[in-house]
Amino acid sequence: MNITSYDHKDLIYALATPWGSSALAIIRISGEGCITLLATAFSRPEALLSARTNRIVHGVLSDPASGKAVDEVVLAVYRAGHGYTGEESVEISCHGSIPGIEALLELLKNLGMRPAEPGEFTFRAFMHGRMDLTQAEAVQEIVSSRSRTAQSLALHRLGGALFTELQRIKSLVLDVLSVVEVQLDYAEDEIGGDVTFPLETVVSAKSQMDALLATYEVGRLYGQGARIVLAGSTNAGKSTLFNLLLKEERSIVSEVHGTTRDFIEAQTVIGGIPIRIYDTAGLRDSMDSIEAEGMRRTEQLLEQSDLILLLLDGTEPHDNADMLGSRIGKLVHDPRCIIVWNKTDLSVGKAPHGSFPLSAKRGKGFEELQAEILARLRKGSARPMDDQVVIENSRQRDALVRASEALAACMRLAQAAVPLDIVAIELNEALEAMGSLTGEVTSADVLEHIFSGFCVGK
Amino acid sequence: MDYDAIVIGGGHAGIEAALALSRMGWRTLMITQSLDAIGRLSCNPAVGGLSKGNLVREVDALGGEMAHLIDKSMIQFRILNRRRGPAVQAPRAQADKFTYHRLAKQTLEGQKGLALFQDTVNDILLEPDGRTICGVTTERGHQISARVVVMTTGTFMEGRIFIGEYMCSSGRLGEPAAVGLGTALREKGFMVGRLKTGTPARVRKSSLDFDAMVEQPGDEIMMPFSFDYDLVDRPAMNCHITWTNEETHRIIRANIHRSPLYGGKIVGKGPRYCPSIEDKVVRFPDRDKHQIFVEPEGVGTEEMYLNGISSSLPEDVQVAYIHSIRGLEKAEIMRPAYAVEYDYLDPTQLYPSLETKRVDGLFIAGQTNGTSGYEEAACQGLMAGINAAQKLKGEPMLVLSRTEAYTGVLIDDLVTKGTKEPYRMFTSRAEYRLNLRHDTADQRLTPKGYAVGLQRAEAMDKLRVKMERIGAVKELLASRRIEGKTCAELIRQPEITIDDLLPQVPELLAFAETERYQAELDVKYEGYIRRQDRQVDRFVRMEQIPISVDFNYDAVDGISTEAREKLKLVRPLSVGQAGRISGVRNSDLAILMVVMKRGGMRSKGCAACDGSDGSDESGEYDGQE
Ligand SMILES: Cc1cc2nc3c(=O)[nH]c(=O)nc-3n(C[C@H](O)[C@H](O)[C@H](O)COP(=O)(O)OP(=O)(O)OC[C@H]3O[C@@H](n4cnc5c(N)ncnc54)[C@H](O)[C@@H]3O)c2cc1C
Ligand SMILES: Nc1nc2c(ncn2[C@@H]2O[C@H](COP(=O)(O)OP(=O)(O)O)[C@@H](O)[C@H]2O)c(=O)[nH]1
Repeated sequence: MNITSYDHKDLIYALATPWGSSALAIIRISGEGCITLLATAFSRPEALLSARTNRIVHGVLSDPASGKAVDEVVLAVYRAGHGYTGEESVEISCHGSIPGIEALLELLKNLGMRPAEPGEFTFRAFMHGRMDLTQAEAVQEIVSSRSRTAQSLALHRLGGALFTELQRIKSLVLDVLSVVEVQLDYAEDEIGGDVTFPLETVVSAKSQMDALLATYEVGRLYGQGARIVLAGSTNAGKSTLFNLLLKEERSIVSEVHGTTRDFIEAQTVIGGIPIRIYDTAGLRDSMDSIEAEGMRRTEQLLEQSDLILLLLDGTEPHDNADMLGSRIGKLVHDPRCIIVWNKTDLSVGKAPHGSFPLSAKRGKGFEELQAEILARLRKGSARPMDDQVVIENSRQRDALVRASEALAACMRLAQAAVPLDIVAIELNEALEAMGSLTGEVTSADVLEHIFSGFCVGK
Repeated sequence: MDYDAIVIGGGHAGIEAALALSRMGWRTLMITQSLDAIGRLSCNPAVGGLSKGNLVREVDALGGEMAHLIDKSMIQFRILNRRRGPAVQAPRAQADKFTYHRLAKQTLEGQKGLALFQDTVNDILLEPDGRTICGVTTERGHQISARVVVMTTGTFMEGRIFIGEYMCSSGRLGEPAAVGLGTALREKGFMVGRLKTGTPARVRKSSLDFDAMVEQPGDEIMMPFSFDYDLVDRPAMNCHITWTNEETHRIIRANIHRSPLYGGKIVGKGPRYCPSIEDKVVRFPDRDKHQIFVEPEGVGTEEMYLNGISSSLPEDVQVAYIHSIRGLEKAEIMRPAYAVEYDYLDPTQLYPSLETKRVDGLFIAGQTNGTSGYEEAACQGLMAGINAAQKLKGEPMLVLSRTEAYTGVLIDDLVTKGTKEPYRMFTSRAEYRLNLRHDTADQRLTPKGYAVGLQRAEAMDKLRVKMERIGAVKELLASRRIEGKTCAELIRQPEITIDDLLPQVPELLAFAETERYQAELDVKYEGYIRRQDRQVDRFVRMEQIPISVDFNYDAVDGISTEAREKLKLVRPLSVGQAGRISGVRNSDLAILMVVMKRGGMRSKGCAACDGSDGSDESGEYDGQE
């Protein structure tokens, strides 16, 4: 979706809540004149037209042509300068049935509005100076965030916390730069000798920057979630564990029909992290009977997974030996692999070293397994506090990496007694990188990229 | 028309403007208040310094005169900040003031097509349309017509001098102010403000005790500012250093109420970076001493300049505090320190060509634009002169980018941000200074000077030879190996210099020291130069999204009110320039970028693209008549 096709004079509408049945749905309309236009279809036009900003008006929307009522609604009115986009807009709260929503959208279209393009509402908000770049990105993440933890992180950033944090680091770098620049601006004899290079300030700025960078993994985890693949031979208990994992929270199971073999995919949340679980049917059968296509798809799944649960059947030592000798068995050495020794309720032998004993049927050992899954995913980092600033997208990460590398170079150069004007280049590079995050230094490309990532309605 | 061009003022800006115009073939008249004051160094007897030295060399590379003048009048030469890095070192020279002035006048007099006339301009003449220049009027009643006018009035427009309680209308001590012009420009709608600057006392050499001071000699070798020749051979003189002390500060504090600065008589803002001694004492109470350089004003004179203690305190206080300083106990004061307050024009009223937006054909340069310093004045004078000539020719304006010259940085800062205090060039103002070394000014600018018809063909030849020879040095460095490593690799190590290699690579001796040095810097800092080039690329991308001068900002939604006002005032020529205007926020810029990249908005929502309505500016901005 290209930003250049937005025409900001049009009246636009979009469903702001997800497609699907629910008690309530919200449809947003925006653009100068949208209130007047909407009033032509509203049962209490004067009440709507005279409503001040941030007020709610209750009534019925009906088709002006036929006079037929479409839905009973509550309208939240925002005058120019208020609301999400900063331009005149209305949020229509209606009943959340799919046919009902469709009828309302149809009505708006007939009134002369057009459906919004992806990201267009946020684009308008940005255009009206309602938010800076990091805030705009935060909105994007709130809209698409899959779990509550991620949402609170994104909300935090919307308040400009990342911006504040960056400003703090930036002022440190500026401090250093000013010490450097003063020596470049005045001759040795004018300022009475050299001022020592404030290396500790650079070190401190860099470590704060790196701390921020380290939150990327955490942020990505909570924002974008993780993939877990279940592997193992037939009857090892994969399906049983799959269901056990899903039992914890409300989750959606969908059968994915491949060209050759099926695998089952489901979404759930473990410890606040959105998780996609794949039960690889393709790996149930022994290797030789697997068609090439099925294998390829399985390999792909394995490659993209963050974690692999390799199930061994505690009652079938021979099976296990076969399996471990196979291609899948090689996964044992993959750092992403957790070996699960299943059916402990039956097996007599001891779980091999480094494996997790589990009875998928009885649920024994499941808590420990869950804890291990979380610990592995978080790679040791604790669950983020709600008020911790977290970076979540790769543009932000890349900019911070650039800044951090520049600071590292700066430290190296300063210690090697390289002339100050060269050191200053690195400091400026760091500043520019940080500026590109807060939007202070920006390019049209970045903007377009960001806006095209928004989903409709936000 | 009496002349093609008129230049008002014979200071450092005026000299360059007048020479550029006449050398480019236009009949030019310089009108200045006193022919005896042409090229006068009003303040310190020195030219160059950090970043200022670069400006002088840039002026020279383009075909200007300042470098020649200082090369033939210097009495001491130094390269500053050698240790702090290749990008920031710069030449500085003490000048013999009298020789400098005499040479300046001589050069102007020797210039074909340039007339000199002593009078004071008190108004400009406009065509009936009210927005095109056609000449000037003078105090003695002359009306002189011309198609372009370059105004360089320095500190003289409604100038006023302060020494304690004493105050008089004057541009420099002993020289009358230029009265009337400032008022006339105000009436024509120009935004005129007040600035102030100051100069220290001059004392008699034979009354000083140099044994009590620290001697400060220059470098052994004098190097020319100009690229036209390789050597300067002139006798050198020393400077001296001494310091103020607690007693000096006590005297100043006790009399501070008698300063016109603190008494509120001076309204103009002075430079923060070059404060008077009373400012230093008040603002830095912890410092127990301040440095003073005692500099000769010339060869045939006893006057010595006390660099570091400019002041506007009454003369009896000046005598008292000067006498409290070591080595100056018996100093005989020949001229007192004084402050001067003068009219300047808010430079946001100019295009980057230095032509005013309000009056077609009127260019402004030098201290009048809110700068301070000879070098700052000279580079503007040169650019205004070149662009006035381009205008006469009907050719595009020469605008230097921030990435190619300190001159470009200076002018961009002025016209984009304006200034509220006297603007001085600083190294730190330039983002890409590794590319702006003083020794590369000819590479950067000589072809441009040649292209507009100012620089001579010999300069181009000389540049070509220089580049070939530097190329040869680099080739030698890349190919010759010492103990398995190429010389280039060796030089990249911080502690090894090219001169360390001379014993093993004697062929290098066939090249001049400057050639070797430049090749060395290029090789040594290659990686950083490339890194900087990447930054330059990012910068240039924003500069390349153009905005037309008549763009209708009122038709664009969503720009903040403050930004809209600023944009309408400055009328930036690119999105990049718009981004440097204070008060223009990121979101404003984002909107501009989107609108500009879209190539104007679609007709439905866009009055902005057909600039014919509403806007009071019209026509393409390309210097066409
Ligand atoms: C007291 C004082 C202190 C200074 N202190 C510093 C300092 O600390 N640091 C620093 O860098 N610089 C300082 N300078 C500034 C430096 O001298 C100027 O920046 C530089 O000379 C400016 O050059 P210019 O060509 O713009 O103007 P000037 O050198 O001032 O030349 C202007 C010329 O134009 C003539 N003129 C003006 N108006 C008219 C008119 N209407 N008609 C005809 N002729 C006219 C004048 O007679 C004069 O000859 C100081 C100047 C003064 C006077
Ligand atoms: N006793 C016991 N039986 C189990 C356990 N886990 C799975 N099973 C049984 O093993 C059989 C195969 O399990 P299933 O989950 O379908 O294995 P899959 O082929 O790997 O998906 C089923 O009959 C399960 O009930 C366990 O922990 N203990």
